[in-house]
Amino acid sequence: MLEIKNLQASINNKPILKGLDLTIKPGELHAIMGPNGSGKSTLAHVLTGKNGYEISGELNFKGENLRKIAVEERAQKGIFLAFQYPLEIPGVNTNIFLKTSLNSIRKSKGEQALDTLAFLKLVREKSSELGIDEEILSRQLNVGFSGGEKKKNEILQMKILDPNLSILDETDSGLDIDALKIIAKGVNTSRNSEKSFLIITHYQRLLEYIKPDFVHVLSDGKIIKTGCGELAEELEKTGYKKLN
Amino acid sequence: MQNFEINSNEIDKIKKITTEEKNFRIKNLELFRAAGFPNKRLEDWKFTDFENIVDRNFEKLDTKKVPSDINKIDLLKDFEHNYILLINGNLHSSNFDYEEKSKIKINPYDNSIDYKINKNPLVCLNHALAENGYSLEIDKNYKFKKVLVIYNFFTKDIKNKILNNKNKIKVNENAELHVIEYTINESKSKFINNVYENIILEKNSKLKNIFIQSNKSDGFFHKFLKNKLSLNSDYSNLIFSSGLKFNKLDIECDLIEENCRCNILSALFLKQNEHQEIKTLVNHLAPNCKSNQKVKNVLSSESKGVYQGKIYVKDIAQKTNAYQLSKALLLDDNAEFNSKPELEIYADDVKCSHGSSSGNIDQDSLHYLMTRGLSRNDSIKLLIKGFLNDVIEFIKNPSIKKFIESKLEEQINGR
Repeated sequence: MLEIKNLQASINNKPILKGLDLTIKPGELHAIMGPNGSGKSTLAHVLTGKNGYEISGELNFKGENLRKIAVEERAQKGIFLAFQYPLEIPGVNTNIFLKTSLNSIRKSKGEQALDTLAFLKLVREKSSELGIDEEILSRQLNVGFSGGEKKKNEILQMKILDPNLSILDETDSGLDIDALKIIAKGVNTSRNSEKSFLIITHYQRLLEYIKPDFVHVLSDGKIIKTGCGELAEELEKTGYKKLN
Repeated sequence: MQNFEINSNEIDKIKKITTEEKNFRIKNLELFRAAGFPNKRLEDWKFTDFENIVDRNFEKLDTKKVPSDINKIDLLKDFEHNYILLINGNLHSSNFDYEEKSKIKINPYDNSIDYKINKNPLVCLNHALAENGYSLEIDKNYKFKKVLVIYNFFTKDIKNKILNNKNKIKVNENAELHVIEYTINESKSKFINNVYENIILEKNSKLKNIFIQSNKSDGFFHKFLKNKLSLNSDYSNLIFSSGLKFNKLDIECDLIEENCRCNILSALFLKQNEHQEIKTLVNHLAPNCKSNQKVKNVLSSESKGVYQGKIYVKDIAQKTNAYQLSKALLLDDNAEFNSKPELEIYADDVKCSHGSSSGNIDQDSLHYLMTRGLSRNDSIKLLIKGFLNDVIEFIKNPSIKKFIESKLEEQINGR
């Protein structure tokens, strides 16, 4: 699904990722942990194609060179990022935005656009599955949403857009236990042999609810250790310092 | 431009006027002659050098009358409405089938001369020469059932003309009126339409006005709007644009008695070399009145938007609540937005605020939308619509709202 080789990324001549290797196969769930400033969010941004980074190295998604693919096409091909800080877009109704988004992805795959009724049915189904009040979808996109609502909205978008590779950038930060369970449910109910996940987090807490296949430790722009679920537990006890 | 001179005998040609009216016209003509077309040396025109604009666009100009006949006009089908049809500013016909006709008075141009001398040279020109227009009066306690569309139709044969029209709307006590001023321009040539409009709102009355056009236009539009609001009256003016090449609205509102409400809102999308200015003067002359001005401009290519907004609060106008905001979204390096907010306050217990900002599309917002599969273009369109949305939200009637949205959509899509 995703193959990253010797990825280097810098912003304003400041190197952040310094030779990162990572392979995610279909159906796998990878967690990336690491201290502040280690490059976790940069990895997420680079995968979505955000402007402003100078990049070298290999970045392949489903066998295609991701570096040649525009931001929106990456989304259309099945990459989704749940933002660490979802943006507030005043005046744009969440439902209308989401319908436009879903239909542009469907269109790119040669599928027929969903009409309003079919779309609302899908939204209702996914939001009740997660236990999210669909009322938030009639509001302006993320405007006046609480931190928890913004994160839940990201997960609901993930469920509706149904991507192949979902990247969650610290989606668990600042959430109470109920919201955390909703996020975990969103991920767990989507897992199957075709869907892959990259979960970026600081804490082991989320991984009590989502069982990763692999845990990586990112430090100073490189993956310095890879293990299974137990690695996260170990980190929780010992901290990142010991690894350096 | 060499060829624009108005001879006093233009006034002699105007039929059936009293000596008093004639003197009024002559005096205004002299004022216009002395001043000429307004240019940027005048504070009120500093961002709109009209003299220069006229020079660049017209080789000659005249004020000779134009025929006002048409065969047919396509009425709007989007919602049920009454209508007044103006052809080149001249009252052609009206239809009030949805209303009690006895409650409505509609007449051609009102030739009263009860106007103060104005320092705007185009107003002087209008006072000197205007012969066309309409006068509308709504009886007290009468509330319109349907919206009134004023079709402002310009025929294809007008070229190099200055049309001077004068309109008046009086809404009497407890009456209510909702107007959409809808300009249709068939002329492919350049011309100037110079309007003076007088709006009088009596006690407890209400007037809602929407300003929009059917199509792009090469006309140059200037309108001076003088409004007088009495006790508890409620005025709102929503300004949209569907491609006027040049438009300047100069709006003066006198809030002469307590508890008036005055809303001036605008959502404009400008492109190419369109130039639009909204200038306001809201005079709080009595206590407990509320005014709200919000101007939102999206500017692309080489367009220019101007907002000069002034709030004046007289010493006796305590408990005034006046708000003013202008925001511009610039899509192009060559687009320009000028804003000049002014507050002049002589009362000590008031709430007045103003704000102005202009900026480009937020790149992080754009990226966020694009990560959801929306193309760059669609994302920008969505951000533009979001930016203009809060003015559109002011329209409560769903079919009118839909109509305005579709007009704006046409503009944005044709970007």
